[in-house]
Amino acid sequence: MTEGAPAARPGSGRTGRWLARASRHRVALTLAFLLVFPWIAPYQALAVNILVLGLYALGFNLLFGYTGLLSFGHAAFLGGGAYGCGIAIVHYGLHPGLALAAGTLLATLIAAAMGVLAIRTRGIYFAMTTLALSMCVYYAFYRAEAFTGGENGLRGINVPSVALPGVRLNLLDPTVKYYAVLAVVGLAIWLFSRLLSSPFGAALEAIRENEHRAQACGYDVARMKLAAFVISGALCGLAGALQAIHLSIVPIEIMHYSTSGQAVMMALLGGMGTFFGPFVGAATFSLLQDGLATLTSHWQLFVGAIFIAFVLFLPLGIWGEVLARLRRAGW
Amino acid sequence: MTTGIDRRGLLRGSAAASTLALAAPALLRSAAAQAGPIRIGFPVPLTGAFGAEANDQVRAAQLAIKEFNAAGGFDGRTAELLVRDDKINPGEAATRTLELIEKDRVNFLVGGLSAAVTLSINNVARERGVIYNSISQSDAINEAKDFGRTTFHEALNPHMTAGAVGRYVFPKSGKRVAFLSADYAYGHEMMRGFKRAGEASGIEVVADIRHPIGASDYSAFLPRIAALKPDVLCLCNFGRDQVVSIQQATEFGLKRNTKLVAPVLLFTARKAGGDAFDGVVGGTSYYWRLEDTVPSAKAFNDRFRAAYNGAVPSDYGALGYAGVRSVLEGVKAAGSTDTAKVVTAMEGLKADFYKGPQSFRACDHQSVQSVLIVEAKSKGMSTPDDVFTILGTEGPDERFLRGCDELGHKA
Repeated sequence: MTEGAPAARPGSGRTGRWLARASRHRVALTLAFLLVFPWIAPYQALAVNILVLGLYALGFNLLFGYTGLLSFGHAAFLGGGAYGCGIAIVHYGLHPGLALAAGTLLATLIAAAMGVLAIRTRGIYFAMTTLALSMCVYYAFYRAEAFTGGENGLRGINVPSVALPGVRLNLLDPTVKYYAVLAVVGLAIWLFSRLLSSPFGAALEAIRENEHRAQACGYDVARMKLAAFVISGALCGLAGALQAIHLSIVPIEIMHYSTSGQAVMMALLGGMGTFFGPFVGAATFSLLQDGLATLTSHWQLFVGAIFIAFVLFLPLGIWGEVLARLRRAGW
Repeated sequence: MTTGIDRRGLLRGSAAASTLALAAPALLRSAAAQAGPIRIGFPVPLTGAFGAEANDQVRAAQLAIKEFNAAGGFDGRTAELLVRDDKINPGEAATRTLELIEKDRVNFLVGGLSAAVTLSINNVARERGVIYNSISQSDAINEAKDFGRTTFHEALNPHMTAGAVGRYVFPKSGKRVAFLSADYAYGHEMMRGFKRAGEASGIEVVADIRHPIGASDYSAFLPRIAALKPDVLCLCNFGRDQVVSIQQATEFGLKRNTKLVAPVLLFTARKAGGDAFDGVVGGTSYYWRLEDTVPSAKAFNDRFRAAYNGAVPSDYGALGYAGVRSVLEGVKAAGSTDTAKVVTAMEGLKADFYKGPQSFRACDHQSVQSVLIVEAKSKGMSTPDDVFTILGTEGPDERFLRGCDELGHKA
């Protein structure tokens, strides 16, 4: 997996003037799109879901698309963030801002513990180790019924409004809620972009291209992988924390391995290793599921078929393919 | 050449037209809120393991809507059902509930079929002050922590179901009782109900075994239980777990010495499980043969048969009907769709919609209603749908519910 990934990498090749410009302003362009997104989405609750899932896929993409590590355990970070935030609000009555930090911190700690163990393995073994460890985390949270609500899920994360210096945001208004979540997601996107353009980001891509060569160049590969793993976990944790406040509940399903699979699916659909791809993937995934479920009760069949078609005919993912075509056209 | 329209007039006209066009959505929206149909959101798991039950709930709920509209609706307004698939996933259910409240602007919510899902819908609805009538079994929804003034619970809860079955079975079948429970909230709630009922008849618990939810192999547990030769084996599990564990208990020959008891015997589960269910005793909120003794059940079944080619409603289906009907009767009694007024009206509702008298308890809005004790059969059936014998009925009584203090409600 570590060495097999570069075949489907849209970042290579000559880049035209327009794409270079767009790449320089990738944060602004992504935010511009997300600002108008609620008017395109069928309803705002879904738009917030897509925003949160987009951040989840973005965090996952740091590891999968940019570092070349396929993890099947990211549900533990999304869930850890959600439970951390939810428990902080329900059991300790913390301010939502602090609760977001608490959730992200819990996810970071889980990622650090899992990363130390998983990073020693590679390829399919890495995927299996992360999967197994995430299921351990799942059962730990499932059992801690006093804190997490167990099978019934954690309820009562009711944040009707947030008091910030000078303003009080009414989160029961779906539009206000969308933009409040976008403010946090926007900050994370900006940080993510800064990280990618730093020497650290370049080193991660070097590891993806050829781990041995990166090592020969003097990079501490094991440590960088661990750092990428933890940062990826933290971003996913933040997504989970936002999800908890958005839905006002945390279901135990959030930690199930199928949620980890969802991250892989969204990253592949959107285009792994692209900046904007995760959001395209999250939007496609959610809209497909939402739209088809309203039309037919056999929606899973169609989602599966469409996913197979994408893997067969658009291996770069939707956004990856768009970028590749624009590049070929000399943009 | 004169066209009949001068420039000034054109300007004035277009200005008026554009003002109207801009204002139109707002005007339409406020008009819809006042005189449009009464909208009831209905999230149920159309896909997933309980698709059959959910589809029956939708059919029965549509019947309640049809009856309401045929009777002239309320104040010239008809009712409308907005069905959404919650995929038996609490996160999806929360999203769908937000959609129903924020985008579709529903007046009321009814639905849910799993404790986690119903609690999730309830949390979103109560935060926004929307009446939600739950039709899923849950004990937690009665507790003060999850309760809101807009929360109603039309279904039975595990405590009253298991309790009724226990009170019927223990005095008749014996005092040595074994438990095989699915290890999650619902299984524990069922077991608590049984044990509470057993205290009165002095049962002795000889085994208390938990199995993981979704288990497909019970061969590790059943021989241990068989060796103890208990008088009664209580299977505190649900759905597929119940079907599989009963089939395997039959194969292990447990029925020779032991009475098998399941707190909730589903009509649909018995139809799927076949004759392995023979002789198993359990509780249910509704069974269509109630029509032999209860006139309102007969009337309900006849209307259902007429609407759906002679099919009879299932237990969970009937709850879909009752859930929607309670809310609509609340609207009629309140003379308004205003939430506070409908809540008060529903609290005072004395109903007999389909199974005999029912009313909502004041402190937790739990529907106080009868529990049927049924025994599964595969011989002597009058129709292929005649799968149970009604052994007895425990009438509606608040005594059989957990007390308001115990649930954390302050008097």
